[in-house]
Amino acid sequence: MNAIINGRPVEFTEDTTILEAARAHGQFIPTLCELADIGHTPGTCRMCMVEVTAQGQDKPQLLTACDTPIEEGMVIRTRTPEVRQHQRLQMELLLADHNQDCASCVRHGDCELQDVAQFVGLQNTRFSDPEFFAGRCVDRTSPAIQRDMTKCVRCQRCIAVCRDVQGTDVLVFTGKGVRAEVGVRDSIAMKDSDCISCGQCTLVCPVGALAEKDDTERVIDYFYDPDIYTVIQIAPATRVALGEEFNMGYGSNVEGRLISAFQQLGADVVLDTNFTADLVIMEEGNELLQRVTDGGVLPMFTSCSPGWVNWLEKNHPERLPHLSTVKSPQQCFGAIAKTYLADKMQVDPARMRVISIMPCTAKKEEALRPEFTGASGIKGRPDVDVVLTTRECARLLKREGIWLPGLPEGRYDNEWMGEYSGAAEIFGTTGGVTEAAIRTLHFAVTGQELEGIDFLPIRGYENMREAEVDLGPKGKIKVGVAHGLAAAKTMIERVNNGEADYTFIEFMGCPGGCMGGGGQPRIKKNYQTFWHERQQAIYKIDSDAAIRQSHNNPHIQKIYKEFLGEPLGHKSHELLHTSYRDRKVQVKHDMKTIWDEIRS
Amino acid sequence: MGTKVVIGAWGDRKFDNRGKRFFEIEEFEELGDFREFDPGNRIKAYLGGKGFFVFDKDVSLLCAIGQYMKRAADESCGKCTPCRSGTRILVGKLQDLCARNYRKGQLQEIRELAEHIHTSSLCGLGQSATVPLLKLLDEFPEKVEEELKNGSARGTQVMHSYVTAPCIEECPSKVDVPRYIDYIKDGKFTHSVGVVLQKYPMAATCGRVCVRFCEMACRRTQVDEPVGIKVLKRFVADQQKYASEHWFDRSLIPDPKPADLKVAVIGAGPAGISAAYHLLLKGYPVEVFEAMTQPGGMAAVGIPEYRLPKEDILRKEVAIIEDLGGTIHYNQRMGRDFTLNDLIDRGFKSVFLGVGAHKGKALGVPGEEGSVQGYITGVKFLLFINHYHINLGLDMDLGSKMVVVGGGNVAMDCVRSALRMGVKEVHLVYRRTRDEMPADMEEIEAAEHEGVIFHYLTHPTRLISKDGKVTGIELTKMEQGTPDASGRRRVMPVTGSEFTLDTDFVVPAIGQRVDQAFISPEQGVEFNSWGLIEANEQTLRTTRRGVFAGGDAVTGPATLIEAMAQGQQAAESIDDYLTHGRLVFRPERRFHQLLKGMRKLQSEEVEQPIRHLYRVKVDELDPETRKRKFEEVEKPISVEAAYKEANRCMRCYRVCSVVTEK
Repeated sequence: MNAIINGRPVEFTEDTTILEAARAHGQFIPTLCELADIGHTPGTCRMCMVEVTAQGQDKPQLLTACDTPIEEGMVIRTRTPEVRQHQRLQMELLLADHNQDCASCVRHGDCELQDVAQFVGLQNTRFSDPEFFAGRCVDRTSPAIQRDMTKCVRCQRCIAVCRDVQGTDVLVFTGKGVRAEVGVRDSIAMKDSDCISCGQCTLVCPVGALAEKDDTERVIDYFYDPDIYTVIQIAPATRVALGEEFNMGYGSNVEGRLISAFQQLGADVVLDTNFTADLVIMEEGNELLQRVTDGGVLPMFTSCSPGWVNWLEKNHPERLPHLSTVKSPQQCFGAIAKTYLADKMQVDPARMRVISIMPCTAKKEEALRPEFTGASGIKGRPDVDVVLTTRECARLLKREGIWLPGLPEGRYDNEWMGEYSGAAEIFGTTGGVTEAAIRTLHFAVTGQELEGIDFLPIRGYENMREAEVDLGPKGKIKVGVAHGLAAAKTMIERVNNGEADYTFIEFMGCPGGCMGGGGQPRIKKNYQTFWHERQQAIYKIDSDAAIRQSHNNPHIQKIYKEFLGEPLGHKSHELLHTSYRDRKVQVKHDMKTIWDEIRS
Repeated sequence: MGTKVVIGAWGDRKFDNRGKRFFEIEEFEELGDFREFDPGNRIKAYLGGKGFFVFDKDVSLLCAIGQYMKRAADESCGKCTPCRSGTRILVGKLQDLCARNYRKGQLQEIRELAEHIHTSSLCGLGQSATVPLLKLLDEFPEKVEEELKNGSARGTQVMHSYVTAPCIEECPSKVDVPRYIDYIKDGKFTHSVGVVLQKYPMAATCGRVCVRFCEMACRRTQVDEPVGIKVLKRFVADQQKYASEHWFDRSLIPDPKPADLKVAVIGAGPAGISAAYHLLLKGYPVEVFEAMTQPGGMAAVGIPEYRLPKEDILRKEVAIIEDLGGTIHYNQRMGRDFTLNDLIDRGFKSVFLGVGAHKGKALGVPGEEGSVQGYITGVKFLLFINHYHINLGLDMDLGSKMVVVGGGNVAMDCVRSALRMGVKEVHLVYRRTRDEMPADMEEIEAAEHEGVIFHYLTHPTRLISKDGKVTGIELTKMEQGTPDASGRRRVMPVTGSEFTLDTDFVVPAIGQRVDQAFISPEQGVEFNSWGLIEANEQTLRTTRRGVFAGGDAVTGPATLIEAMAQGQQAAESIDDYLTHGRLVFRPERRFHQLLKGMRKLQSEEVEQPIRHLYRVKVDELDPETRKRKFEEVEKPISVEAAYKEANRCMRCYRVCSVVTEK
């Protein structure tokens, strides 16, 4: 089929929109609400207007390119003075009820709305009126995500991601007219809702309406307080993504520079979450063996993704016995730092503050769980004091005047927790925990290292995968992987229907695992596009590593010898294992409330 | 009856009769009667989605358009930019224009905004909101200058506004269809079903068996297929637990009436339940009297289990009446167990008669006189199956071969139920062609898939029996003649084409009547020449004071949704009668009339190319499995499918306003 765009012939197939056809032929049309990566074209911003003359008609029509099908013989013009004038006016109307306090906005300088304003050549904003956004919801109740609906442009990308990609379906469209905004189901505060803090919505919000809760101020407080002893832990997935915030290529490994940055900022100890990832493998691998031997609840589910743990607690509490009791690497780190490390380094744990650098918004909530307090000896004091997402880490460095690319390659230099294995590094990607566990499990059962080290059958991009492992005397076991909560939901249904004959299932709350974590850098008009590059970088770190298996990490061997005793021992149980709660959100509906809201 | 238009602009038509004296103006017939809004209150102007009409030269159009725009801005769903911000800004600009002296450039900015909102809005509301304004600015610029100069735009005028859509206007109950679909899009299923429940309690029932006047009016048909309005209603109703989790309670009743102001409802069918529901919500003590041992009326006994599960759906929804404090007395048949006068003596201040039309029509052919075994009417046949067989477990001997006569939904229910009862060979005889069958196409196709043998252009002439038992039926072929006044082609028998079909059972499903045995003539409730209860169309008052009637007993055999609509209408009339002693004017009802009168002017074509999104497919039980059992045939749709289907709604909302004298 053929049509003309801006005087040039274009070919297309049926069910193509004008926007898709234009893009395929290198013609730019400004858009705001649409997000091609998730097939989202709600047609609400109305920015993408073009002039269309249908075959056999002499009068052109102004139509939106994103939701209008291109038809045989159409003549489309995207840059007529009339089109440009309408696009400018649309932008003025978009800004009319948008809180334009741009300098204080979390998206300052990184805002898709500002971009489109520039594309259309906006000259003035005649219609702005603070009255229009007064009274909209600003919800800062969640420790992970903040909602500022005075900034919302109603693109509904967040709803699409929450509903379709994650299957969590917590966000709803609410209100009318200029009061319309994205709300939380049943109008409850974010922290009490079904939200599992995965932060995927913050990856797609084009403006500053949805964002991670900013904790950089607290970190600066700690750094500049002489009485505070700061301990940094850096999660595996962050080092291969942070560079994007500093114009470095996708998949750049900035581990060394990041260590230097924190050393420059005056951190007392800079360490790697990978150390405790190795510890988790030791504990979790042994827990699995114990479950298999003693007839415990199987399949065992991984527990290192807090978004996933939240989801299971809120949606399928009856499946909680499947969850490994081992804490996540972040929380193992907090507990070990404030006991073992404090003791070795002769620091009063009460003065110690553990700061995590995480690819994850849900980690902020995890750090506040009451189960994860008190390792310092102070009741109620979180073991991990503050969590920064990758995006906040970049913000922190920029606030402190540190430009990452210019820094030298630093090194971890701690004799107790300073080593990690390649197995720990791949925790940062979907399939990584499983692969790391298999490497150690194989050794534990057979006494021999897994041949070739890499366990390729479980690697891949599909949202659900499975593989079989030969554990010699213990026979073969099947393992499964699911990433993203829509996949997790399907996997749980399979478990419920008795179709999941796995011994072990790795669940990650975000698509791609931590690669696509809700706290990772966002790329404008893209969703989850570049985590494959990040993943390759992670696999390279693993393959380049001197030590490839958790059980071969000398500092892991040392901690068991000098402190923990043995995996699943008394000390491990006290510091590294936890329990879970039924957190199902129960809402009692009544007709009166519903009708009152409908009538309002 | 038309109305005299002074000036107007509607679609591409312009009216300008300012040069004429009022008596010289010809009435504009297509508009219908726009002279008065309520009695004694003249309509001075009408504004709608395609323009405006002015009937009184003293109207300030600018002022009226400002008020109209305010209503549109209030209704905006807020999703698309031009409608959300644009209409709101325009309201301010128009107020500004009217309040102060006219400044140069102001009108140009207003026109630019209005044109932009019209051109770029996502749905019908925004696209139509600025049409009256654009028509005024473009067609009557001198009128604008004049109003600004003489200051007439400054005041306010009495205006009544109403927001509607084609699907709403076609629905007898006027359910706000785009609204409940919006709530699905928005992920608020509680509110979606809440919108339906504003009109009647039987949302899940209606979501299964409604005949869907709304879908016939759906403008999406012009693009691909109508939106699956019914299936979406069933989806939200099934998702939500308003009946089983008792969302309804007495706290919903803001204004309870004194205990002696009690109302009796006769019949727990769709009309009666709907009447009871609305009366209870208005605070009246209500007692329902039902002849059967179960609620639902024709929905219970006339609709087969495979289309409407009674225990899980219908009975739970009817129980809302009890949650609201109403009482249902079963096995209480009027005319047998009590009379109308008894109720009045027991202190009921008003009575609603929703007794239905349960008496089947006979074929009217030789051989049917007296009692013939194997010959019962369709409605009785369904009653036996649904009540005596399914509920009470009684056996029925239906033989192995059956003939059903008729072409409506009752006939379809009979043939499909017969298969499920184990009848081996089921024939359907209809005197016209398949295209003329009044039954729903889905029902006809389902019966065909299940193996019913159809005989079109065939009509019974004689019932054949031996020893008091049916053995066959004599049929004649029919042929089509010229169309009659209604446009349907006449049919007449083909002489000599008679043939006999051997059968064990004959079921005429050719219509039902009201069984008048429930009331004796001296109680003052009269029947009309159709044998239906005589009731005023506006008020549903019968010939006896304080007694109202609705549903099939008034309309003749009709649909669930029409019966429920009449139940609500009667509840409003009873409320008026008991509080004011007279009918109270309801602007919304008047708008329905006005819009109905100008239907020809309302029709709108879809003017833009729209992406095709095909209607959700509802999974069904396999015909071979289902035809032997009464399990529900249609399966529920998934949440994902519901979101997709809801997104097909084009939201054809329009604001309609009248400027009136007072």
